[in-house]
Amino acid sequence: MEEVEVAAKKRDEERVASAHAYFDNIHTKRKLLSLVNFILLAAGSLLILSPIWWMISTSLKSMAEVMTYPPTFYPREWNWDNYIKTWKAAPFDTYAINTITITMLVVIGSVLVNSFIAYGFAKVPFKGRGILFAIVLSTMMIPGFVTLIPQYVLFSKLQWINTYFPLVVPAFFGSAFFIFLLRQFYMTIPNELIEAAKIEGASHFRIWWTIGLPLTKPALATVAIFSFNGAWNDFLGPLLYLNDESLYTLQLGLQVFKGEMNTQWNYLMAGSLLVLLPVIILFFFFQKYFIQGINLQSGGK
Amino acid sequence: MRKKLNYKRMEGLQGYVFILPWIVGFIAFTAGPLIFSFAASFTNYNITSQMDFVGFDNYENLFTADNLFWTSLYNTLYYVLFSIPLTTAGAIFLSALLNQDVPGIRFFRTIYYLPAVLSGVGVYLLWMQLLDPGTGLVNTALGWFGIPGPNWLFDPDWTKPALIFMKLWSVGGGMLLYLASMQGVSKSLYEAAKIDGASSWQQFRFITIPMITPVIFFDIVTSLIGGFQIFQEAYVMSNGEGGPVNSMLFYNLYMWKKAFESFDMGYAMAMSWILFIIVFIITIINLKLAPRWVHYEGEER
Amino acid sequence: MSKIVLKNVYKHFDKKVTAVSDFNLSVEDGEFIVLVGPSGCGKSTVLRMIAGLEEISSGEFYIDGKLMNDIPPKNRDIAMVFQNYALYPHMTVFDNMAFGLKIRKFKKDEIKKRVEEAAELLGLEELLHRKPKALSGGQRQRVALGRSIVRDAKLFLMDEPLSNLDAKLRFQMRAEIAKLHQRLKTTSIYVTHDQTEAMTMASRIIIMKDGVIQQIGAPKDVYDNPENTFVGGFIGSPSMNFFDGRIVDGQFVVEDVRINVPEEKMEYLREQGFVGKELTMGIRPEHIHLLRGGEEAGQTNSILSKIIVSELTGAHTLLYSMLGTQEMIAEVESRTNVSPGEDVYLTFDMNCVHFFDKEAGIRIRPEKSEVLVG
Ligand SMILES: Nc1ncnc2c1ncn2[C@@H]1O[C@H](COP(=O)(O)OP(=O)(O)OP(=O)(O)O)[C@@H](O)[C@H]1O
Ligand SMILES: [Mg+2]
Repeated sequence: MEEVEVAAKKRDEERVASAHAYFDNIHTKRKLLSLVNFILLAAGSLLILSPIWWMISTSLKSMAEVMTYPPTFYPREWNWDNYIKTWKAAPFDTYAINTITITMLVVIGSVLVNSFIAYGFAKVPFKGRGILFAIVLSTMMIPGFVTLIPQYVLFSKLQWINTYFPLVVPAFFGSAFFIFLLRQFYMTIPNELIEAAKIEGASHFRIWWTIGLPLTKPALATVAIFSFNGAWNDFLGPLLYLNDESLYTLQLGLQVFKGEMNTQWNYLMAGSLLVLLPVIILFFFFQKYFIQGINLQSGGK
Repeated sequence: MRKKLNYKRMEGLQGYVFILPWIVGFIAFTAGPLIFSFAASFTNYNITSQMDFVGFDNYENLFTADNLFWTSLYNTLYYVLFSIPLTTAGAIFLSALLNQDVPGIRFFRTIYYLPAVLSGVGVYLLWMQLLDPGTGLVNTALGWFGIPGPNWLFDPDWTKPALIFMKLWSVGGGMLLYLASMQGVSKSLYEAAKIDGASSWQQFRFITIPMITPVIFFDIVTSLIGGFQIFQEAYVMSNGEGGPVNSMLFYNLYMWKKAFESFDMGYAMAMSWILFIIVFIITIINLKLAPRWVHYEGEER
Repeated sequence: MSKIVLKNVYKHFDKKVTAVSDFNLSVEDGEFIVLVGPSGCGKSTVLRMIAGLEEISSGEFYIDGKLMNDIPPKNRDIAMVFQNYALYPHMTVFDNMAFGLKIRKFKKDEIKKRVEEAAELLGLEELLHRKPKALSGGQRQRVALGRSIVRDAKLFLMDEPLSNLDAKLRFQMRAEIAKLHQRLKTTSIYVTHDQTEAMTMASRIIIMKDGVIQQIGAPKDVYDNPENTFVGGFIGSPSMNFFDGRIVDGQFVVEDVRINVPEEKMEYLREQGFVGKELTMGIRPEHIHLLRGGEEAGQTNSILSKIIVSELTGAHTLLYSMLGTQEMIAEVESRTNVSPGEDVYLTFDMNCVHFFDKEAGIRIRPEKSEVLVG
């Protein structure tokens, strides 16, 4: 009897030990994997960030240092006045004011109008809603250049060339992508909320304003940021529609500056950095809303 | 059936009021221009003086008498064919790395995403500097490994790879899209697979990948449409010329030159319709192929 | 304070689904009507048509004699409480309750006065400045109630307002709603799944099935005199027992069991020609009694049954057994100790049974009277 018991006990112990070994093994394996992963990611981050560092570093160098071979990784001396020189070398303050004006108008238009349209598609039942929304989505498939040329014709017939109208006005008529994004978000708001407000006596316009807008704030932030980014970085629109240098935006100004500076990389990099800076700052403060926009996209399709 | 306006019909009307901005915008900026450009593609329209019907002349000339048309089409296809598989695979790979429990993962995600929000002339200038054969970072880094870097933007064979390289830098945008969808995959699927004895790779191959196919599909469709429209970077980095030796003369850039430099608007609009048809056919093929490999869980909304 | 009437109301969805057919109802001022029925029978649809959230496909709906079909919800002067409360998450409790008043352009101090009154009535004074997220389920429900009472609407609609609460809170809120109704006397229509709510709160119950009204009546009336087998089975828990059989020689014969039928019941069954026909007999579990001691064992109405399961529910014990091949549940006092497998004698209180036409499922009434509906 005893012998059997001892043997059984031993077997149990062995089993426990082998299980321990198994889990230890998994543990070390997992740790190792995680370490490899970490190293990969860290190396990749350096790779990803190096262009930005290069931009900063070049922008601070003297032209002589830029031209030395092999190139230096750190600026030997930090020429902060490169930035002042750059800013003064072209009417960057005019460009900046112009860009801010256009961008603000575009953001306001995009946020309000797309929210309005999306509310209609999400919460007001009407005939043909499904088909019209399908059309909205399908317009995302149309290559921009197909409509660009006739739009140019339209705007030139309206005498809008060399004004901001072609850059700003379309933002007040909705964009398929933003409508889609906001509708996606509206769909998460329970219909009962809208119905309760209807019974309380609110019209749809009132409901949109007092309930729709406040409840979709996060998605509106996403739209604001995406449209900010779009307007700020828009190069093609200004290139096509603006002729007077006094109307130029930063993107266009930078392109002209590039022609003037030839290969004065330190000034060019300083200018680029100045133009990119608002976007970088916005990104670090409102990263959440960038990511949310992407989540809404991936959830939608 | 009551014919008078009851409140449900009133509500329907309100719905149209909500989407009115989109309807107006759609007619003015999309449908109208589409119709106009289709009609004008059969004319010798030049925006100012002439608009005579020329039948299929524009299309015929494009296909038979215009070498640059073929060059631009070749360049564009080259870019699309290489950049899309690379960026898609890169984004999936990166999101798999970033979907792990590694210290500092949020920080890494931010870093990898950053380049995706940067765009416009500033970024192109940065890459012109990075790819500068003498003073740029890329060839310097290649030099550390004893690899002689090519002349990138000055060598017709290397301009398109240069642009693809640049595109890869901003692969973080797609990465977030995939990451969002990977995080939506139920943990219990992985647990079930582990019990069935699947290795990490098998889990990735047989669970993660199938579960994110809808997003892969979405990404491929949208980046194909986007890829065919490459313009800004080529314009800025070749000073609007498409050189060297037309190696950066992409389809849209050529169209741009036809439309806004030689004001051959009818011809350019014919080009735009060819692009539209190409993109449309590719999208349709994509949609048709989708059921074979895209895995939709449950019913669609 | 109002009287509402629905006449031949139908609701079709997409021309295919008929969610409500021929709905007729007339509600007196101050009544508390409860709509019950299985899931998907059209209760919410009826309520939403009254609220104006769904269009009435055909038929008429009046409030105080005024046709309402084409009046938008905001002009119907109704209030509604939703199952998931539908509180505006970005507004405080105060603002939630004040919303409808603001829209109706009430004066500031009037709004304040009314909201505070309602808050006092519902014990929400301390919570007025919180957002809904910071409230418990019961408190949210109270706010939803408060929101609907501040406006003094003519008609009060509630769609399963308590179904998201736990049992204890539900009990408490049930009493509170009843109290509120006692005080305000607003005409109310209340939808629920819960029979207890229906039985305790209603002045009249409406039982629906597949979009059709099965019976309308006071709770006791519906319980005691179900119009058909569906109502008999739906109202009451545990459910009414049904046995298929036929009348032979003054006895109801279920397979090999014979039960004497009292003469008064025999009389009208005979008069209406049901003798020998297929019938269904319905008896509530509490009308099946346990015979003790065995001295009555010889009686015809005592049935020897083998108990399969015995369930103690508190004051009562449920005894599951078979009558022939048909299931039978008896509800007896819990002091009686019966264990599964035991053979006991059960007897039916035949004065309380109902007979139904087996095919149509309709109860056979003592007098050949016209059907009393509405
Ligand atoms: N918008 C709609 N479109 C099509 N059919 C609908 C719609 N709303 C409800 N129905 C159908 O109408 C019928 C009645 O639905 P209703 O919501 O009124 O049921 P209910 O009695 O409230 O059920 P529950 O107790 O589950 O809430 C159901 O069969 C439902 O599927
Ligand atoms: Mg319901």
